[in-house]
Amino acid sequence: MPRRSDGTTATEPKGSALYEVLKGIDFERRELVDKPRGVGLFDLVKDKAGAYKCYACTLCERKCPVDCIEIDYCPEFEELPFDLEAERALALATLPGESCGANAACVMGEQPAGFVPEIDMKLFDPVVAGIRGGSGLVEALHATQEAYGYLPRVALEEIAGEMHLPFSRVFGVASFYAQFRLTPVGKHVISVCMGTACHVAGAPLVAEAFSQALDVPVGGTTPDLLFTLETVNCIGACALAPAAWARTSRTRA
Amino acid sequence: MAAAKTGTARQTRIRKALKAALRPELATGDDKAVKIRVCAGSTCNATGRAAVSDALKKELDKREHSDKVEVVLTGCHGLCQEGPIAVVHPKGVFYPRLKARDMAEIVETSVVGEDVVERLLYRDPQTGAAVALEKDVPFYSGQTRVVRALNGTIDPTSIDDYLSRGGYTALAKVLGEDDPEAVIDLVEASGLRGRGGAGFPTGTKWRYCRANPGEKHYIIANGDEGDPGAFMDRAILEDNPHSLVEGMLIGAFAIGADEGYVYVRHEYPLAVSRLRLALEQARERGLLGEDILGTGWDFDLRINQGAGAFVCGESTALTASIEGHRGMPRGKHIRTVAHGLWQQPTDLNNVETFANVPWIVTNGSEAFRAMGTEGSKGTKIFSLAGKARNSGLVEVPMGATLGEVIFSIGGGMQDGREFKAVQLGGPSGGCLPAELLDTPIDFENLTRYGSMMGSGGMVVVDDTTCMVDFAKFFFEFTAQESCGKCVPCRIGTQRVLEILERITAGEGTEHDVELLEELSEDIIEGSLCQLGGSAPNPVLTTLRYFRDEVMAHVVEKRCPAKVCRPLIKYTIDPDACTGCMACTPACPTSAISGERKQAHVIDQKLCIKCDTCRQVCKFDAIPVVDAQPALVEGRAQ
Repeated sequence: MPRRSDGTTATEPKGSALYEVLKGIDFERRELVDKPRGVGLFDLVKDKAGAYKCYACTLCERKCPVDCIEIDYCPEFEELPFDLEAERALALATLPGESCGANAACVMGEQPAGFVPEIDMKLFDPVVAGIRGGSGLVEALHATQEAYGYLPRVALEEIAGEMHLPFSRVFGVASFYAQFRLTPVGKHVISVCMGTACHVAGAPLVAEAFSQALDVPVGGTTPDLLFTLETVNCIGACALAPAAWARTSRTRA
Repeated sequence: MAAAKTGTARQTRIRKALKAALRPELATGDDKAVKIRVCAGSTCNATGRAAVSDALKKELDKREHSDKVEVVLTGCHGLCQEGPIAVVHPKGVFYPRLKARDMAEIVETSVVGEDVVERLLYRDPQTGAAVALEKDVPFYSGQTRVVRALNGTIDPTSIDDYLSRGGYTALAKVLGEDDPEAVIDLVEASGLRGRGGAGFPTGTKWRYCRANPGEKHYIIANGDEGDPGAFMDRAILEDNPHSLVEGMLIGAFAIGADEGYVYVRHEYPLAVSRLRLALEQARERGLLGEDILGTGWDFDLRINQGAGAFVCGESTALTASIEGHRGMPRGKHIRTVAHGLWQQPTDLNNVETFANVPWIVTNGSEAFRAMGTEGSKGTKIFSLAGKARNSGLVEVPMGATLGEVIFSIGGGMQDGREFKAVQLGGPSGGCLPAELLDTPIDFENLTRYGSMMGSGGMVVVDDTTCMVDFAKFFFEFTAQESCGKCVPCRIGTQRVLEILERITAGEGTEHDVELLEELSEDIIEGSLCQLGGSAPNPVLTTLRYFRDEVMAHVVEKRCPAKVCRPLIKYTIDPDACTGCMACTPACPTSAISGERKQAHVIDQKLCIKCDTCRQVCKFDAIPVVDAQPALVEGRAQ
């Protein structure tokens, strides 16, 4: 049972507002008291090794006849697609010498649970305006990426709220398309074209050479957040093969 | 009689509205005046067009010619290999590969004077003779430009340029006649087939879409040109966006659509901005939006940007993407013409298909049918790339042979190397060998030989490309781009890729080759959409035409093209090596050692086969040879 900061455990509801809402729940048995059979809190099953069996296939969320299941970020899981290290580095780089809003945990070398870097929400206004003007989800994500250079988690949550969509749906779309990035991007983005014409002209060697020179794998960003190296399927500059496209990302130029 | 009379009145009104839309003072006018057209396509921009046009303007200012000579920034001229390009009118003198420092001489000789600068002219790659005029360049003289007729002539950012050259008259004609069924009949009679790959008759698709009931009808242009090696749609969007808008307007009128989308790849920023500008201009002149040309008909277009998913070129995945879902296709038991975007009847055509429509309306279906073969009419744009001398956009009538396109127009192979194969249709197409160079290109022929038209990418490869590695490249692409919805495609492409990786690593067996064929058939049979349904084509054509090369990898553990790294090694020829020390510092793993003026040696344990040493060597002293079979076996163990 997780111990709370004041020394109590979650099974001992105190008079806080949170537990007012949760009255009537037997946390030990994880079920609702005074409810008909079959209704209760459902937990995720763990295997013998203690790892969760669920791999978020989202089938239950989609099949639930009364829409009571929402797949969301669970703090107990390590959140892989979001690069906490890089986000923290970005937060620190943005506000040198100041607190990034995550207390001092990162300075102490600890991983704060649910760490959220501060982002400039003023940049988000055009996205909201776009959504209210009838733009689709993909367009909203493009606008967000244009504003921040990547898709910060907070922004995805805002989009989900604004469009009345489950967060899982927004995240699903954001992670489906190759152009969307979930981690902060370097100041300069180098895209090595991997189209057919570039391939026959030696594009894999070009990507390898960039990777060696910058000492980052393809898809990675240098620790100083200066360069991001990525590959792109075809930029249509086949006459110039092998081609690479270097550009300065708009946000932190 | 009465009907004809009102028809005439309507036509007159529309013609007047169209005339009012044009502001002739803003158009760049014809070629009779002295004028310089500088190509501002993506490729020329990337090779330094801005510096060239700036220098040109400065030189004109210096000679006080700025008001007499117009500099027009046009769309892509097509011969991208030779950029930046400028053409000096009225003669039409063609200057390729320009540098800013050349501009003074060109202005002095060709603009102020009437001569040509011999030194800067284009050289025929086969004869070496200088070619002065654009129309005589073999790359252009071999083409039949219908869709691309205005590209390279007009300024793509100016609607007046397009209007002054007969733009939107096809729309005015269609609106004047006010008979949508007649438009569909005309397009059907022309034999126009979809330019996106499958080649479905466009008129028939429009007819189905019109006949299907729905609250709203949608029309979508598919500009999600995901095939690597294809850039025809980008050229239309960048060089003549209004031809697409006009084609879509005609299509929308024919099927009764209320709203349209243009789905463009996000990787084409210039295309998006030029299209956005074109839509704004068309709205401003009353050619788009409410009450088009005073007819009371409303129709508007929106741009929807893709986000880097190849599968979104598939119709149902594309509509899912516009709706804000993951771009996953659905089973097409019910076609998009019945249930498409937002469950409404939707017509989806390729950008190039729409760009053909105004020409057909203006010139009639007979003129269109006169070009092409029995089953495939009109012209087709191909993007020629790879190891051909002239890379760029080629528009030829259907039925032109592969050899004509690659050798007559494309100028043959680079560096005098040997033609090995041509890859058509991107990851859905296949590689055709030299024996098929006389094959006329049309939908039926390409399918018969195991390839497909695709959107028109044509990548030429020479003997330095390993066909197994090439097939592996396409499977890396499809395995990565498979959306994961259906099992045959998601897992099948991964398994095929693994087999190909084994073969290129020298670990393949003859059973693997059989397995490849079997698995490919299964993927084709079982996949939900055409991404999986056509994904095995590169492997199947490789097995069909280049089986010897595959078997060399499997049986002899040898890569004839010297590409597959586990099967080759870099050596130094002690007789040719001068000990110049150029390769030693270039080697990233310090695998090369040797004294100055002594032959060097490569430590095979350290060598990562990155090819750097071979490229820096000035004496061709680093031959690539087959790795010792024993070495390969040792590695496998």
